[in-house]
Amino acid sequence: MTSTKGRSGRGRARGAAAVLAAGVLVLGACSGSGGKKAEERESKAAGGASGPRLKIAMVTHSGPGDTFWDIVQKGARAAAAKDNVEFLYSADPDGGKQAQLVQAAVDKKVDGIVVTFAKPDALKDVVARATAARIPVVSINSGADVSARYGAVAHFGQDEAIAGEAAGREMARIGAKKALCVIHEQGNVGLEDRCAGARKTFGGQMQNLFVQGTNMPQVKSSITAKLQADKGVDGVLTLGAPFAATAVDSAKEASSDAKVGTFDMNKDLIDAVKDGRIWFAVDQQPYLQGYEAVDGLWLLKHNGNVLGGGRPVLTGPAIVTKANAAALEGFASRGTR
Amino acid sequence: MTAAPGPNPSPEPPTGASPEPSSGASARGDGPPLVRLTGVGKNYGSVIALRGVSLEARAGEVTCVLGDNGAGKSTLIKIVAGLHRHDSGTYEVAGEPVSFASPRDALDRGIATVYQDLAVVPLMPIWRNFFLGSEKRRSLGRLDVGHMRRTTRRELAEMGIDLRDVDQPIGTLSGGERQCVAIARAVHFGARALVLDEPTAALGVKQAGVVLRYIVQARERGLAVVFITHNPHHAYPVGDRFLILKRGRGIGHHSKSDITRDELTALMAGGAELEELAHELKAASAGGAGAAAARELTRQAKDLGITGKP
Amino acid sequence: MGHAVAQPPRPPEPAPSPADDERLARRSPVRRLLGRPELGALLGAVAVFAFFSVAADAFLQASSFSTVLYASSTFGIMAVGVSLLMIGGEFDLSAGVLVTTSALIAALVSYQLTLNVWAGVVVSLVLTLLLGMVNGLLYVNTGLPSFVVTLATFFMLAGANLGVTKAVTGNVATDSVRDMDGFDSARAVFASDVDLAGVNVNVTVFWWLLLVAAATWLLLRTRTGNWIFAVGGAAASARAVGVPVARTRIGLFMGVAFCAWLSGMHLVFAFATVQSGEGVGNEFFFIICAVIGGCLLTGGYGSAIGAAIGAFIFGMTNKGIVYAEWNPDWFKFFLGAMLLIATVVNLIVRRRVERAP
Repeated sequence: MTSTKGRSGRGRARGAAAVLAAGVLVLGACSGSGGKKAEERESKAAGGASGPRLKIAMVTHSGPGDTFWDIVQKGARAAAAKDNVEFLYSADPDGGKQAQLVQAAVDKKVDGIVVTFAKPDALKDVVARATAARIPVVSINSGADVSARYGAVAHFGQDEAIAGEAAGREMARIGAKKALCVIHEQGNVGLEDRCAGARKTFGGQMQNLFVQGTNMPQVKSSITAKLQADKGVDGVLTLGAPFAATAVDSAKEASSDAKVGTFDMNKDLIDAVKDGRIWFAVDQQPYLQGYEAVDGLWLLKHNGNVLGGGRPVLTGPAIVTKANAAALEGFASRGTR
Repeated sequence: MTAAPGPNPSPEPPTGASPEPSSGASARGDGPPLVRLTGVGKNYGSVIALRGVSLEARAGEVTCVLGDNGAGKSTLIKIVAGLHRHDSGTYEVAGEPVSFASPRDALDRGIATVYQDLAVVPLMPIWRNFFLGSEKRRSLGRLDVGHMRRTTRRELAEMGIDLRDVDQPIGTLSGGERQCVAIARAVHFGARALVLDEPTAALGVKQAGVVLRYIVQARERGLAVVFITHNPHHAYPVGDRFLILKRGRGIGHHSKSDITRDELTALMAGGAELEELAHELKAASAGGAGAAAARELTRQAKDLGITGKP
Repeated sequence: MGHAVAQPPRPPEPAPSPADDERLARRSPVRRLLGRPELGALLGAVAVFAFFSVAADAFLQASSFSTVLYASSTFGIMAVGVSLLMIGGEFDLSAGVLVTTSALIAALVSYQLTLNVWAGVVVSLVLTLLLGMVNGLLYVNTGLPSFVVTLATFFMLAGANLGVTKAVTGNVATDSVRDMDGFDSARAVFASDVDLAGVNVNVTVFWWLLLVAAATWLLLRTRTGNWIFAVGGAAASARAVGVPVARTRIGLFMGVAFCAWLSGMHLVFAFATVQSGEGVGNEFFFIICAVIGGCLLTGGYGSAIGAAIGAFIFGMTNKGIVYAEWNPDWFKFFLGAMLLIATVVNLIVRRRVERAP
């Protein structure tokens, strides 16, 4: 706490010394391994179609800084680039505010709208207004059951219960008998559905554990505590990629040999799957959700095609294990898988 | 109050990092007064708060500044204390013109101000309050807690307050005691001039009497005291000189020998408003409270031997 | 009497009652101990500990206790800075995201410039302290309530965390620094386990205890500590007696920033990647720790030890519910209920102490 003293002359000198030290470190302290340069050594690129330029808006219930929605956007932008579409993205986790954003897109007279039905009732009226204004609506991610009823022409997403069932089968396959389902956001219906689905096919005993997803040390200590409290737990299922790596740390700390499996993907996760620290990942392929939604609207506008025949088109679950992790590594490291 | 009567004749020189202790003799009587304002004025934007006010405070004397609310007393005190700069006129300390940028500057010149809110932190222990802003430290920046506790107890004892526990929060003291702690603090840190902003305003008659006694003690120690009040009954028994302020102007400057308490009261209210004041006083006397308080004060002051002094 | 100890500052001129004129009764050393701000929290902690010892079998194991300490320390490190700031009369709502900001700076600088991670650690320290100083300067210079100023910086930092991370990495999380030079030594300092008589204790616990000791010394035995109490208790009075109020306040905001840096470094080296959206909402937990520990919301009263006990109560409750294996649907309810019990015990104890002569 020396910083609170902040006496003028000496403090300034100390500050200057710190800046100087930082400068020296920056200049002289290059890392021999890892880092941006290593990434650049292996970077790649991707690339587009023509036709009259369309304007498509995507309005999701994402909070800021969510890896998942970042990948959805990347998929959507890739399709937009290919199809010569101007892509607009906005999001708000609050149902009412999400509806206002959809209304804003309707007011802008866009050529198509992509929405998520996380809070279906909040969006029902505004989606009806969009269809009344002859703007086609496609839903992604959540709301498979209400999508068609509320007037969306197609739905691209993963049925959380089906994905949960797949995860449950995977947990059983890796030999777990008693498992945890780590819910990182209390009251999220989709997460509850995943756990419920997993419990259905798992066969063994599965308990839910709530953790505070915005505070990683707390996630870690909570999983550790649970593993210490119940030594019989031999499997941990996390519902988001960042929490899987933490669960592995927790198991180590609690000297538990519980096997960790997870939903969703990211670059670090695929390494962990490859070297066996994490046993499997259930990927709902968010890139596909963004890509197909924009491409689906483009197809509808250009050729009158509709995918799915009025039923949800499933983008997952796709299971990633040690067997196929190496093949997906490159895609995950550029943040699209 | 079980305070020991009579002033303490030989105060120990202050040990804190303070300017030279008050010697008293150098500025007493002849020579330039310790604090002298000549024709001082102050404006806040278009509002004229103070115009052409002159004031003298000599060592070993109590100079009372009297005035009703809005007369400019608080502006005057802020200038003396260094919180505000004056716009016109001159401000001299011991004959030297000054213009203070902060209360710290004034303190360094030996001018200590005890504000109406006492500048104490109620939740902090007495000894921490006593040394706040002038902490005594040992090596490595450690506070010299033992020294500060002892000094606080001793200084307060010399002022006639015998506190056994200087660790109690100062907020648990009575208003008069807190006022005295604030005065003792100013004296300890080498104040040569003590500016007291309405020290008796919020106190009951009995406690006001106690504070008045410390004002006399400070004078006995050779300090120049500037005593700001709106109460001529408090000012008259202890004051040597009286400056009456009204609407930002000085309307009278008197020494004790050429004015009586009634004249002072009348002057303060202003000739034109004398009638009104008399009426108010009558109303107050009808209630009995004001008159009783005044009588009580007179009695108290007599008991304490204040009124007999020049 | 001593009844004003934990009440908000009284107006300086109370109506003088005859009782006020009498000498205050001497307070015995025991009573003085009872008047310490952390006492109520300590008894609350004992109550919570006893409760979970009975309710959860696994709670009393040494390894479980170490997990509880770890959870407490991650709140507790921040609670030290936040409690000092609170004693100084202010809030910092940006404290939660500042941790993430600090972690992001270290991870981004190290990775993007391919530097030894210690370079990132130092750059992060400098920039985080600067951010704390900006909070302080904004507060001191605008004169707006710190609540408003730091709410604004909270939003700005939360946005910048995401915006900068995404602009630099293309993703919403930083790239892993696990395989970079200096990671292992940095991990040893900020996120390792220390074997203590067969129990693995996370190094954050020691950082926490060290910070609490330093802060306690600062508060009670240095001039700066005196100033902190004075600035929080009565800023105008403090200024009048020559306390550098503005500088003290800026220093306090920088103290919070220092704690955020330490927490942020733990994030980086415990988890190797940093999620840019993390940290939102944690600022309230830090404030709660400080309040449970006896800090007054109005400032001028409290202690770093109290805040540490508050963090310990919070950590025990947080993990005790897991050890007790209660229905997780009710987790937050139980959390709230335990906190209520802890604070009520705290309150009752303090009232008892204040009422007694």
